[in-house]
This record gives sequence, C-alpha cells and structure tokens, in this order.
Amino acid sequence: MKVQGSKFKVFAYLLFAILLSAGTASATLTAKANHDRITVDFFYHGSTVSVRGVSDPGTDLIVKIASPEGEQTLRQKGKVGGLLWMNVGKLVFERVPSLYFLESTKNLTDILSEEEMNKYVLGYSALEKHAEVTPVSSPAEREKWFDEFVSFKTASKLYATSYGKITTTREGGNQQYYILLDWPYQASPGEYTVSVYAVKNNKVVEQAETKVSVEQVGVVKSLATMAKSNAAVYGAISILAALGAGFGVGLIFRKGGGAH
Amino acid sequence: MYLYLPVALTSINILIPIGLGLAVGLLSGLFGVGGGFLMTPLLIMFGIPSTVAAATDSNQIVAASTSGTYAHWKVGNVDFKMGLYLLVGGFVGGLGGVQAIKVLRAMGNADFVIKMTYVLMLGIVGTYMFFESLASMRKKKTETSKPAKESGLSKFLKSLPMQTHFEKSGVTHSALIPIIFGSFVGVLAAVMGVGGGFLMVPVMVYILRMPMHVVVGTSLFQILFNCIEVTFLQAYTNHSVDFVLAVLLLIGSTFGAQVGAVFGRKLKGEQLKIILAVIVLVVTVKIVYDLTASPSLLLSMGGGH
Repeated sequence: MKVQGSKFKVFAYLLFAILLSAGTASATLTAKANHDRITVDFFYHGSTVSVRGVSDPGTDLIVKIASPEGEQTLRQKGKVGGLLWMNVGKLVFERVPSLYFLESTKNLTDILSEEEMNKYVLGYSALEKHAEVTPVSSPAEREKWFDEFVSFKTASKLYATSYGKITTTREGGNQQYYILLDWPYQASPGEYTVSVYAVKNNKVVEQAETKVSVEQVGVVKSLATMAKSNAAVYGAISILAALGAGFGVGLIFRKGGGAH
Repeated sequence: MYLYLPVALTSINILIPIGLGLAVGLLSGLFGVGGGFLMTPLLIMFGIPSTVAAATDSNQIVAASTSGTYAHWKVGNVDFKMGLYLLVGGFVGGLGGVQAIKVLRAMGNADFVIKMTYVLMLGIVGTYMFFESLASMRKKKTETSKPAKESGLSKFLKSLPMQTHFEKSGVTHSALIPIIFGSFVGVLAAVMGVGGGFLMVPVMVYILRMPMHVVVGTSLFQILFNCIEVTFLQAYTNHSVDFVLAVLLLIGSTFGAQVGAVFGRKLKGEQLKIILAVIVLVVTVKIVYDLTASPSLLLSMGGGH
C-alpha cells in the first residue's frame, strides 16, 4: 500500500509539474562550460571558464565550481611567549574542496534561505558547517580558524565568492545566463564540478551540472609523471643537468674571459 | 614571459627565477655560500610551495657551485684535501641532524627550537664576523694581539693526533679538526634545513685559519657534494624537485657565480668578510622581523617533515 501511495505521489507531482511548466512556458535549466578540458602546457598561465545556459525567467541563479571534497592539513601560526609568531601546530580541515568558486545573480543571503544554503553547501557559512576542523577547543575557535582557512584559500586564488557578475538576458520565453570567470593557474590538475542552481522564493528549484577538467599535457605531463613514478632517474637527470650547466658556463667564461 | 612549473604546479614569470639566480649565484661565487638562506624564502614569496622551493634550490646550487668551484679551481683556490675532510664530517653530521630533528619533533615545539637556533647562529656569526673584519681592517699594519688571543685554542688544536699539512691553505691541523667541525656544521645545517655555507665559511676562516680566498673555493667544493646528495634525496623521497624551475634558476646562478668569482679576486679578504657579515645580519633582522610582526595569514602549507 505504502509503495503504491508513494508511486501515486510521484505521478501526481510529475503531472503537476508538467501542467505548471506548460502554464509558465518553462525551460529546463541547462549549463554548459566553454571548455570541459583545460590543458596545461609550458605556457599555461591560467585560463577562463565561461558558463552559459537557459533558465526559467524570473529565477535567480547560483553558479558553483568546486573540486571534489577532501582533507587538507595546514600549519597553524600562533604567538609563542606573547612575542614571537611561529608555527605552533597543525590543523586538519576535512570535507572541504581545494577550489571553491561561488557566483550568484544577487547577494546569496537575499535570495536563499539558510536551510537551503546549508543543504546545497552554498556560501562560506554553509561550507563551515559542512566541514570538519580538528583540533579546535570551542565553536568560536572553530569559526576563527575556518575564517583563516578561507583567507588562506582566497590568497591562493582558490576560493572566491561574489555576486552580480552573472548576466541574464530574456530570449523568447526563456532567460539566458552567462558568466565568465578567471581560472587561476594555481588550480591543480583534476576534475571540477560546475553546478548551477535556479532559485525562486528562497528555494533551489532546479539544478544542472557540468564538468571542467584540468589536465597536464606534453612535456609538463611527462616531467610531472617522471618526478613521481621514476624519481631516481628524475633526480639523477636533475643533478647531471646542473653539473653540465655549471661546467658549461665555466668553460664559456674561460674561453670568453681569457685572462682572469 | 611566463612558464608553467610541472612540480610546483604554478606559473612564474621567467625573469624572476633568472634574476634571483643571478643575484644569489653572484653571492655564491663571491663568498662561497650556497645562498639557500636567501633563495628559499624568496621563492616562497613568489608563490613556490616551501618544500619545492628548498629542494629545487639545492638542485640549482649544484650548478652554481660547480660553476663557482671551477672558476676558483682555475686560479688554485680550492683545497681539495680540506674539502674532503669537511665533507666526511658534514656527511656524518647530516645523518645525526636528521635524527635530532626526529627527536625534536617528538618532543614538540620543534619549530621554536629550530627558529631560535637559526636566528642565534646567524646573529652570532654575523656580528662576530662584522666586528672581527672591521678590527682587522683597522689594525692592518700593527698585527699584534692575534696569536696571543688564540693561543689557548690553537694549543689544544695542535695537541691533537693525526696532524697533517694542508698545502693549498698553508695550514697544519689534526685531520680530526675539519671532521669534527664539519659534522658540527652538518648537524646544524640539517636541523635548520639549510646548506650551512654561512656557518662553514666562518669555521674555515676562524678555526681552521685558512686564507679567505681559499675558503670561498673550498666551501663551494664542499657545498657541491652536499647539494648533490640533498637534491637526490629530495627528488627520490619527496618528489619535490622542479626541474623547470631549477633550469631557470641555474641559467642565472651559473653566470652569477663566475662573475662573483672574478669580482671576488679584486676584493681583499677582510672586505669579503665584512660584506658577508652585513648580508648575514640583514637576513637575521628580516627573520626577527617576520617572527615579531603579525602575519597576514595564520595558516600555511604544511612542510615536508
């Protein structure tokens, strides 16, 4: 009985949704990034990522780009003897992405309720609730160190939030949105998820997703791979190259310089 | 022009490492120091992760010290025999230093001990060298009190077994002296995470009584081997040597070392010592400033250890 009931519920919702969408000429939210693959070669100095798509008219939009969540251990500075700043320990941040960009059409707190922000991990305060910080002795300390974490990531160009950069245009019955973001060269190779949320009445009403991957190619890739998987040979080559360069320049100077 | 560094995972304007290499290579050729105490913090300042900065710098020093040793060797300023004894000591000391770090870390507060050792060593060495070379520049002609002052220590040194003559340096010592002091520098260098050139140079000048120009060449020879070892270990165990960054640095440093070696011959020993003393003191002041000024960020990337 229960199963049947829930099936009926789903059906009813679907029907309702179809009717509703027919009534408001709605479009399904779409998201597309300009390139799903950023290649890192010798001359790579960051890139740009644009996200565009179609949404229902009248919805606000939030674009989140994040790396998979993971664990990061950072050194913690503190005052020793009330005078000297030095590393006093380590803090472990868990369930945090290494890169986190958040863009919205309007100020996040004006368009979305706190519960929704926490549910979808949108904004730094939601991220803080989602993350784990150890060791901290009190909630106040936890907040302080999470703020420091955000400052550290912001300084490394890996965390950023702002609003008002997404442009929206009406086209027919739809709303087109577009945003262009600078992609920092500090972002390490890997796969990043672009999530777009359509927001109405303080709630997320629709969600779309796409991927951006950053990959090393060519010599950069060969060197990075070799440094890890063939470390002894890599080390030996580095040393031989340095010895060769040192002798080479020495010889040039002897020839060029003549008398010392 | 920017180049991407495959191990540091960052992009850098190539003029920065080439310029830094040139400046630090110049100091290396002039004073016989590796310059790690300058290069590593500067690289970190330009966005290179600290582990990569230290490891890549040692790779670069291999090139700079090869170039510098070669330049000094051509004019007969490398005491290979002394260099070898120091190396043996340095190697043993390095192994001891690595163990010392483990003990310190286990005790906690290792960073405090390391930082304090570093500041004190730099401060004492810099101050002593500064005043000593200032005094010897003033009293150049009188040449009086020196032997009397040193007699206690030198008597003891002379009483040790295995006395041997170092021809290039024109000194006679027990073979134990360079081995013992070499290992002392090795321990400190390993604990502080630096090459130790700024400690080795004063040891050679004040304890081994070697002439300044031979000190520079011999120190470079000794540094060369230390850095080969460190580069290999860093590449092998930590994967933290960035080959591209090292090449950019050594383009500058190999030339800098040659220029430094040529320029150094035009200066007197006292002049070289006093300039090195000033540089060491400036670095000390900078470190003390960093320790006392409020940092803008309270978190940083974890180091290797």
